Amino acid sequence: QVSAALREGGVSPTELCQRCLSLIKSTKFLNAYITVAEETALKQAEESEKRYRSGQPLGVLDGIPVAVKDNFNTAGIETTCASNMLKGYISPYNATVVQKLLDQGAVLLGKTNLDEFAMGSGSTDGVFGPVRNPWSYSRQYKEKSVSKSHSEDEESNWVITGGSSGGSAAAVSSFTCFAALGSDTGGSTRNPAAHCGVVGLKPTYGLISRHGLIPLVNSMDVPGILTRCVDDAAVVLGLLAGHDPKDSTTIQDDFKPFELPNLPDVSKLSIGIPKEYQAPGLSSEILGLWSKAADLFKNAGAKVIEVSLPHTCYSIVCYHVLCTAEVASNMARFDGLEYGHRSDMNKSTESMYAATRREGFNDVVRGRILSGNYFLLKQNYENYFIKAQKVRRLIANDFLKVFRSGIDILLTPTTLSDPVPYTEFIKEDNRTRSAQDDILTQAVNLAGLPAINVPTALSERGLPVGLQFIGRSFQEKQLLTVAKWFEKQVKFPIIQLEEVKSHVQDVFQHRKSASFS
Amino acid sequence: VLNRRCVEAAVMTGLALNCSINKKSLFDRKHYFYADLPAGYQITQQRVPIAVNGTLSYSLYIDNKMSQMVTKTVRIKQIQLEQDSGKSLHDDTRSQTLVDLNRAGVGLMEVVMEPDMCCGEEAAAAVRELQLILQTLGSSQAVMAEGQLRVDANVSVHHPGEPYGVRTEVKNINSIRFLAKAVDYEIERQIEELENGGTILNETRAFDSKLGCTVPMRDKEGKQDYRFMPEPNLPPLILYDTKSLPANINHQQVVNIDWIHERLPDLPSVKRAKLVELYGILPEHSFTLVNEDGLTEFFENVVNQTQMKPKKVIGWILKDLLGYLKQHSLTVKESPVSSVLLADLLNLLENKHLPSLLILIFQVLAELWKGEGKSPLEIVKEKKLELIQDQKELEQICQEVIDGQENE
Repeated sequence: QVSAALREGGVSPTELCQRCLSLIKSTKFLNAYITVAEETALKQAEESEKRYRSGQPLGVLDGIPVAVKDNFNTAGIETTCASNMLKGYISPYNATVVQKLLDQGAVLLGKTNLDEFAMGSGSTDGVFGPVRNPWSYSRQYKEKSVSKSHSEDEESNWVITGGSSGGSAAAVSSFTCFAALGSDTGGSTRNPAAHCGVVGLKPTYGLISRHGLIPLVNSMDVPGILTRCVDDAAVVLGLLAGHDPKDSTTIQDDFKPFELPNLPDVSKLSIGIPKEYQAPGLSSEILGLWSKAADLFKNAGAKVIEVSLPHTCYSIVCYHVLCTAEVASNMARFDGLEYGHRSDMNKSTESMYAATRREGFNDVVRGRILSGNYFLLKQNYENYFIKAQKVRRLIANDFLKVFRSGIDILLTPTTLSDPVPYTEFIKEDNRTRSAQDDILTQAVNLAGLPAINVPTALSERGLPVGLQFIGRSFQEKQLLTVAKWFEKQVKFPIIQLEEVKSHVQDVFQHRKSASFS
Repeated sequence: VLNRRCVEAAVMTGLALNCSINKKSLFDRKHYFYADLPAGYQITQQRVPIAVNGTLSYSLYIDNKMSQMVTKTVRIKQIQLEQDSGKSLHDDTRSQTLVDLNRAGVGLMEVVMEPDMCCGEEAAAAVRELQLILQTLGSSQAVMAEGQLRVDANVSVHHPGEPYGVRTEVKNINSIRFLAKAVDYEIERQIEELENGGTILNETRAFDSKLGCTVPMRDKEGKQDYRFMPEPNLPPLILYDTKSLPANINHQQVVNIDWIHERLPDLPSVKRAKLVELYGILPEHSFTLVNEDGLTEFFENVVNQTQMKPKKVIGWILKDLLGYLKQHSLTVKESPVSSVLLADLLNLLENKHLPSLLILIFQVLAELWKGEGKSPLEIVKEKKLELIQDQKELEQICQEVIDGQENE
């Protein structure tokens, strides 16, 4: 819709950009952005305006403000991965997906906050501090929360965004941008999407280029798309997907961008409900929503069948072994010699390496590197790494079997509960939290399948809860069609934030909901 | 992203060395920390390399007189593709190391031979043959001095009938000559060590070309665990042959082994055989012709421009021309006497314009070496060499000419 507004001249790209920038400033307390590229963004907006005036916009995304997670390389703009190791590092090139957005005329507002090197499920462990969930300040939450004392409220009750792409999710949720890029290795796009009430799409592995995305786990990472509605996600997907000669893991087949039907029909579909996803710790609220959702589909004529993914219980450990092993390998390049932080220690190369890496990485990263190297030792390789690969194959096969038996889409919860207050979250360490929170999302990464979080309803505490749809490899069209249908059914409410209200009114004048397609 | 040209070069080399080409080969990461390894790991092929089980045949002279040749073979264990690291330059005066990363990431092809050679001479001959093959294929220019071909020698000694001894690895060998020296020195050193009751350590040693010996290198930590892991960014490398090539494939995306096989140029051994057959020269002759860069071409050019029989021409080429070049450390390309001029001279000989007094021929040759562009006939006429028998007079005249030239 905002794209239409741009085309019709109802609002200009520079105006739009300026408003978003000022909204970013007024929502600074969310800590969603690490770097705001004000100058370049305004320049891009101006360029876009010229194009609109001459009637030649580059496409739907021309002039649309977007944000990018700070683990994507952006030429000329600091890329830190929320780590001391890369503080002050200015990338010399754009990640392929960033380049694609810019080529379409998108206006890059800035880089969003994350857990350090994308390791975590809360967006709380980056060096720039935790990201605050915009819903913490929403009327919906405030109305429902039991206030002990007025001052305590805002400061101690704010809830987390989830992670690791928390900054991107918060940015989209608070209306400071219309779409954001995240990354998803174990659920890092879907988890914060659920907690922030936005759409989070994890595409099939190999569909979107990883070139320029600072790798966590090469065999599981994918760029993730965060938007306010499913149609927007489809648009962005259409612009980003496709083979990249710079990424040998992207598939060669041509990708055809698609549009979603306005009135999707789900009556001919088979929806699978995997019983193992009724995980320990799953809140009864979410269980209830999941069940209601299943009923929605049943009532629309779809077949809803309980299925089994028997190896789900092993996915956490399998993920841990493979993830830490690849992390140990991928982090080996940060030695302080060529780029990034370099310690002052200069007694010997080795001591410089050690000091640099100790200073540059936080506990979480160091912990994973140590574990990963342990698993890769010759004496352990067979028992850990190879075994984990075999288990991974079993988990992937579980999905294949289910899909082959006629199921089209799987429906599961995305998170175990609604977003928790920060003070509660930090009571457990990162590893424990990740192990708990990733359980519903990371089997999907092990199998490389596409999945999407669709915001479903508000919890009793007034906070967002989402549900997850998992599709067949490369069947994003079907996946998004189902997601769109579901989105229309549940009519998830808009966040009611003071700062946002006036912003939305200014931008949209007479429109009610805000999306850009 | 995999470099297509590297894959093709590896397949060509594998075929030339009679290897089995693995239709599916894999890439791995080999992890270690070193300043010249920017990623902290090297991409290599540890599990399944691109080619295995080949042979390399090479010839060498039985004795120093270059009279008889013998053919030997060395088995090729495997050929693997890997990445180059950067270059470390150690500045001991300032206690620092400078790292040049320009070549980091460039593709390398490693050829691993089995321990079938018994001395420096054999090693040198084998590597020389490999060098010729690589140059013929175009896989590499294989100039050792420029690091295009790097050789590490693994040496061990044992009594006949006993199992192989502990081996040491010798690095920093910059030429084929040094290779022979290094190997021989190391053999001597190990024998001496063992005869004195010592043991050989499984270590890495560097060849010091100035002193002509090997010295232990900085401690490369006996047992390093490289924590091999499959390279997740490079899918398995699949090669096709005409049988297995899928129908709708994009030809830009695949490498067809059979296609490469058909286009292999003549290998050195084939070239030599052809020369022997075509010109009736001895195998030893053709060996030298092929061994010297550009000499075959020179020889063939002379043969084509003279009436002298190839069997006679070869003598002039190998003894006189090559002898002079070696004496003055010149390559064939740098020869002041072109094939045209030499052909002219030989024609004079054949047509009996010159008495076949060798001494006169040498005088003319000496003139030609000056590279002043005069033809042999001109020189002969100038010097009135047909008539003058007196060497001293000739020398005098020549000297006058030389002096005269210098004043120009």
